[in-house]
Amino acid sequence: MLGKVLKYDLKYMIKNMRVFYILSIFFAITTRILFEVEQSVIINIIGQISVGCMIAMLANILINTMTRSWVRFSSSLYKDESYLTHTLPVTKNDIYNSKLIQTFLFLFIGFVVILISLFITYYSKENWQVITNIVKNITIGLNMNTIFFVTMFLIVVFLEIFNAIQCGFYGIILGNRKNNKKIGYSVLFGFILYLVSQTIVLSLIFVYGLFDSSVMGLFQTETVSIDANAFKILLVLTSLLYVIIIYCMSMLCKRTLNKGVNVE
Amino acid sequence: MSNMKLLEIKKLNKSFDDKKILTDINLSLSSGKIVGLLGKNGAGKSTLIKLINDLLTPSSGEILVNGEKIGVESKKVISYLPERTYLNKQMKVSEVIELFKDFYQDFDEEKAIKLLKDLDLDINQSLTKMSKGMQEKVQLVLVMSRKADLYILDEPLGGVDPATRDYILDTILSNFNENASVIISTHLISDIERILDEVIFIDKGKIILQSDADKLRNKEKSSIDEIFRRMFKC
Amino acid sequence: MELTFDNNIPIYIQLLEYMKIYLISGVFKCGEKLPSVREFAITFKVNPNTMQKALAELESMNLIYTERTNGKYVTKDQKVINKLKDEYAITLAKSYFQGMKRIGLGKADSIRYLEGIDE
Repeated sequence: MLGKVLKYDLKYMIKNMRVFYILSIFFAITTRILFEVEQSVIINIIGQISVGCMIAMLANILINTMTRSWVRFSSSLYKDESYLTHTLPVTKNDIYNSKLIQTFLFLFIGFVVILISLFITYYSKENWQVITNIVKNITIGLNMNTIFFVTMFLIVVFLEIFNAIQCGFYGIILGNRKNNKKIGYSVLFGFILYLVSQTIVLSLIFVYGLFDSSVMGLFQTETVSIDANAFKILLVLTSLLYVIIIYCMSMLCKRTLNKGVNVE
Repeated sequence: MSNMKLLEIKKLNKSFDDKKILTDINLSLSSGKIVGLLGKNGAGKSTLIKLINDLLTPSSGEILVNGEKIGVESKKVISYLPERTYLNKQMKVSEVIELFKDFYQDFDEEKAIKLLKDLDLDINQSLTKMSKGMQEKVQLVLVMSRKADLYILDEPLGGVDPATRDYILDTILSNFNENASVIISTHLISDIERILDEVIFIDKGKIILQSDADKLRNKEKSSIDEIFRRMFKC
Repeated sequence: MELTFDNNIPIYIQLLEYMKIYLISGVFKCGEKLPSVREFAITFKVNPNTMQKALAELESMNLIYTERTNGKYVTKDQKVINKLKDEYAITLAKSYFQGMKRIGLGKADSIRYLEGIDE
């Protein structure tokens, strides 16, 4: 049944997100074309507007993926639509897992569309060189692969946002266990959960740092040079911790959800 | 197996914070009955129905459907019409039909399409473009197009015109079979009482009376509606 | 065949009366197959269980009978129906004469009045 629940969650997201994907790619292409053609003042102005639109769309993709996920979660579990959701012959676990997979997929699609848009707009050998140089500067030339660095960095950001969205889910679940001021409590709980999860990640890295002085070095501001290897460990460790936290929190969400709901 | 009750509710209580909504509800229901759950607005009818449909969680007590606790199995055999519109408005009628076909094995698509036609509803129309009344009709069609063991209709007659009301009653009767039971909650008793086998009076969160409809009429020499009014002075 | 019901009286008793009149007046003829309980319930807009109860009562009065698996039939015995018709006619006539008596008219006068009425 998970597949069927997921089908309708994905349909909803596609319906609501596709416009941003299309516009973002559209503005990326226009920008590129405008920058490629012969320069004139007017075209330059239109080009700048186009860049602005594209950047706005990129932000929209991220923001909408987050808010749409929350809105969908809240409406299909606690608002009018919950009358259908909870009466379908489906387990609460399936309902929750579907939401989580849907979020993961659309966050991923969002990242891909953002990268494609940026690539269309800006890709050139010189620009890539600039990025490579920045990475090299950060890692002080110690043999760190640019692609590896960028990928790991994106993964951490991805997991960070994914965790934030799930904190929102758990906040909504907990907030709706209250008998009034449900929205207020949802936001409050979500925010607290986010802070707690961030603190846990940071403190665990710190604990790890107690056993690995190179990683600890990254915390010390007086250290000028950054150890590439330590940075690598930091990125991998952070991702790992996020994965663990996301997994644990999803189990907690399902446990709470299985205690039953009280919809209005 | 044969004497297992379709629906059995034991010592059910529901409260929000300190406010008691339902107190010590005991109820049992066998197959092949049309039951009226009758009570004034705010008497606890909807709360009871929502508890049976897993939309609320009991504070204490037990609800069994075919001997099992509320869950996937009970949801397979209960067809529930809530008192609000609950479909995603972005969907078209045809998409909602597909959804019901996906999730409910007992859903009869042909029947749904026929009923929609009877009610002059366009299968390709999006729900956003429909009036609330039309959306409610779509929901009624979906719910009645399932071949369920237990139909639970929460205020199906509230705010519909007489023609639709007759259609709803017809649909309930023509769908009804000895393996199924129907619970209809309403405060509009006179409209519906002649199709009821059994009546349950609920007031202030308590079940006041459960009886065979004709036996009650015979005993009190008056209509269910009148008995109800007398009892609750409304 | 939409029927009106008085909610103050048990529905099955009212159904029984309607059915008796249908049998007497020949809407359902001797030996004729009756619609199913379900069909009856839908046309009369009543609960099938109530309809079933009324039919069971008719059966116990020998006005209809059940042929295994085939459904229900009106009795083949015209005498039973005639007897019922007789009973009804007598009751109606009695109540007519009673009413006339109340306004001071005797049997002979009452019959004259009856003959004077064009249907």
